[in-house]
Amino acid sequence: MGSVVGKPRRRLVRKLSGHVARILVVLLAGGFLGATLVRLAPGYGTNPEELDSRLSAASIQALRQARGANEGLASFYAHYLERLVRGGLGESQTLNEPVRQLLAERFPETLQSVGLGLALGWMAGLALAMAAVMSRTGIAGVAAGLLASILLCVPAAVLALLFVIVQAPGRLVIGLIVFPNIFHYARNLLARAAAMPHVLTARAKGLGNARVLLRHILPVAAPQLLALAGVSVSMAFAAAIPVEVLCDLPGIGQLAWKAAMGRDLPLLVNLTMIVTLITLVANTVADLVAQPRQAGEA
Amino acid sequence: MKLPAISATLLLMGLMSGPLVRAQRGSQLRFSLASDPKTFNPLLVDDDASEAIRYLTGGVLVRLNRETQQLEPDLATSWRVSRAGNSITFTLRRNLRFSDGTPFTAQDVAYTIQRLMDPVLHSPTGDSFRSGPGNVTARIIGKNQITIVFPRPIVGLAKLFDQVGILSAHSPHKEMAVLGPYYVAEYKPGSYLLLERNPNYWKRDGAGNQLPYIESIRISIEENRDIEMLRLMRGEIDFINSLDPDLYDRLARQAPKMAYDAGVSLDSEQMWFNEVPAAPIPAYKKAWFTSTRFRRAVSESINRADLVRVVFRGHAQPAVSWISPANKFWFDAGLHPHPFDRKDALRLLAEDGFHLQNGVLRDRGGHAVEFSVITNGGNMERVHMAAMIQQDLAGIGIRLNVVTLDFPSLIDRITRSFNYEACLLGLVNDGLDPNAQMNVWLSSADNHQWDPDEKTPATAWEAQIDRLMRAQAATLDVKKRKQEVDEVQQIVWREEPFIYLVYKDALAGVSTRLRNVHPVALRPQVYWNIDQLWIAGGRAEGRGWN
Repeated sequence: MGSVVGKPRRRLVRKLSGHVARILVVLLAGGFLGATLVRLAPGYGTNPEELDSRLSAASIQALRQARGANEGLASFYAHYLERLVRGGLGESQTLNEPVRQLLAERFPETLQSVGLGLALGWMAGLALAMAAVMSRTGIAGVAAGLLASILLCVPAAVLALLFVIVQAPGRLVIGLIVFPNIFHYARNLLARAAAMPHVLTARAKGLGNARVLLRHILPVAAPQLLALAGVSVSMAFAAAIPVEVLCDLPGIGQLAWKAAMGRDLPLLVNLTMIVTLITLVANTVADLVAQPRQAGEA
Repeated sequence: MKLPAISATLLLMGLMSGPLVRAQRGSQLRFSLASDPKTFNPLLVDDDASEAIRYLTGGVLVRLNRETQQLEPDLATSWRVSRAGNSITFTLRRNLRFSDGTPFTAQDVAYTIQRLMDPVLHSPTGDSFRSGPGNVTARIIGKNQITIVFPRPIVGLAKLFDQVGILSAHSPHKEMAVLGPYYVAEYKPGSYLLLERNPNYWKRDGAGNQLPYIESIRISIEENRDIEMLRLMRGEIDFINSLDPDLYDRLARQAPKMAYDAGVSLDSEQMWFNEVPAAPIPAYKKAWFTSTRFRRAVSESINRADLVRVVFRGHAQPAVSWISPANKFWFDAGLHPHPFDRKDALRLLAEDGFHLQNGVLRDRGGHAVEFSVITNGGNMERVHMAAMIQQDLAGIGIRLNVVTLDFPSLIDRITRSFNYEACLLGLVNDGLDPNAQMNVWLSSADNHQWDPDEKTPATAWEAQIDRLMRAQAATLDVKKRKQEVDEVQQIVWREEPFIYLVYKDALAGVSTRLRNVHPVALRPQVYWNIDQLWIAGGRAEGRGWN
């Protein structure tokens, strides 16, 4: 009996370990790639203050050394990993604050923005997709499709600027960025599920719309929708950068922008790794939740 | 008979000071900075944002009045520079305290000087005081008197102390304990700073009220100039210290009472050619760029009046020298901008063997004259100027390619790789004394942009500039210094290592609620008299954004 219960558990542990290992490898590779791009970007290690005519040659040299202009990529990354193992994330070169402190201050703001944006985008996207699929007239589908297409064409920065002008809460912009993607994918998935023979049979038997949707369409589309959830998280984080910059929301998106503009290597590498981690974890969770359902349905 | 007169005067003073005192309660000034301050240490200030915080919080021994351009007593009631010019004695105000209550004494000044001149600190302000090898000593004469002795004479010595924020030698709060009108109470990097009124600030107004009038200052970090303007119009911020000409014009149309043009500033916009011998550019181009005739011809082909009219909408002046007319004493008024004269430009080019062929200018070797100019893409004025210069140069058969880069990439090219042909950039000038630009004009200096770190002067005129700049730095005779600096200005006008284009006006936008505002050309334009400003009607805490 024990071996019968132990086998699936062992399989689950093995599966989880595989996912964790994959996340770690991708994380390190992402961080290294990010560091490489920043380190090789033109202008790395420069400082506008070098042009100050008051500075002596020794002070200019000191400025260059302080910005790590003479530090090689391998040396930077070795130092970074060494610090990381000891729990340190280094210090921002542009804001002169510990990266750990900056992240702690700003992460709640971004989590709030992204959380609200995802909730809004998903609720609106899913609700309108369901309405579009279930509606007999098709008007709801056309109207929602038109709205989603318009929003898909407008860049996040333009939407954010519009919200600044009309003094609307900037956080809602993330929802409007996520919404059209959720709507299009969800509508396609639900429409495909709605066209399956068992749904037609259920309709023919006279089942109500709500029952058909909840019992026969959504369960079929659920695994793919869950996979979309993982993608939507990275989408929301990507949108957070222009939104936070333009709407003056002090989150990590704004921090990432400042770090990129200032070639702030320690800050950028940490932010790259954090966003990579969030995306990977979201995708893995979606994957893990979706797979047993698929297996069960099979 | 005298008593009623005195009573009436006192009553009048009371009535006049009443609104000001009331204005203090809960009043908050709000404005934006484009970036975070890089430091709160007044000795390490090297960027605009840190400079703003130093001005608002730092106590200095003497203060340069930005309006009159004259020195005024601040923490020091008087000062005396020795005849040899290598020492200065300050008599300090008595019974002053830092913002945290620590007493202010001559020991604090000695400590500040010791830190300032510490070679390990690499203080930009300290570098201004380095006149030669040797140690700087601070001799405390009494609790309120101190003499600072430098190894060599320093020209304009007293004025340099306008930049030295005094540190406390004993406060546990270190550089956060200040003697200026405000202290930093809160800071959220990348977001905002909150400055509170220094309860121990020494200055009082004529009626005996303690200054400053405004209780706190909230400074938001806002990179986007359009959003900053939007917030000014909505009343969310009280002023913009430095407006772009198009935003100024928009403000002047919509709210004329809020728009201020304080006249020509100290800042110039200029263009220069890469004359670095080791630069990775073809030899024939180096030959063009090192030719005075070529540079003069390019200069005469640029219509500066059009740049002023179109790019700066009239809020600028054609430039002529490295010193702006805003610098009343040092500007050489005898100089005039090079005229826009294509005919003369072609004559100069012909003398160097250039010739026009089917509308294309070619050099002796038959190479078509074509070069690129780099500028920072974030500055639309410069991008527009480059586009106009492109059109102007096309008029004499030169093809100019405009390359916009972000600022770090541009710095990389002009200071490290030297992989550029010409550069269009501005020079931000804070100091009035020409000695502050030694590191630009000495041929051996790092900021000698067209050819940094020359082992020996590459040309006779650069050797002459070296001699004159060193001579003006070695004499305390102001008249002689003026002659030497004028001569340098004339050489630069003639040889044009920098092709000066325009001097920008100091443009500001100020809310009508902010009172006693007199924007000036010198930084910080709007709030140079911060302790005298007040907000009509005050304002409740917590209103607005952030």
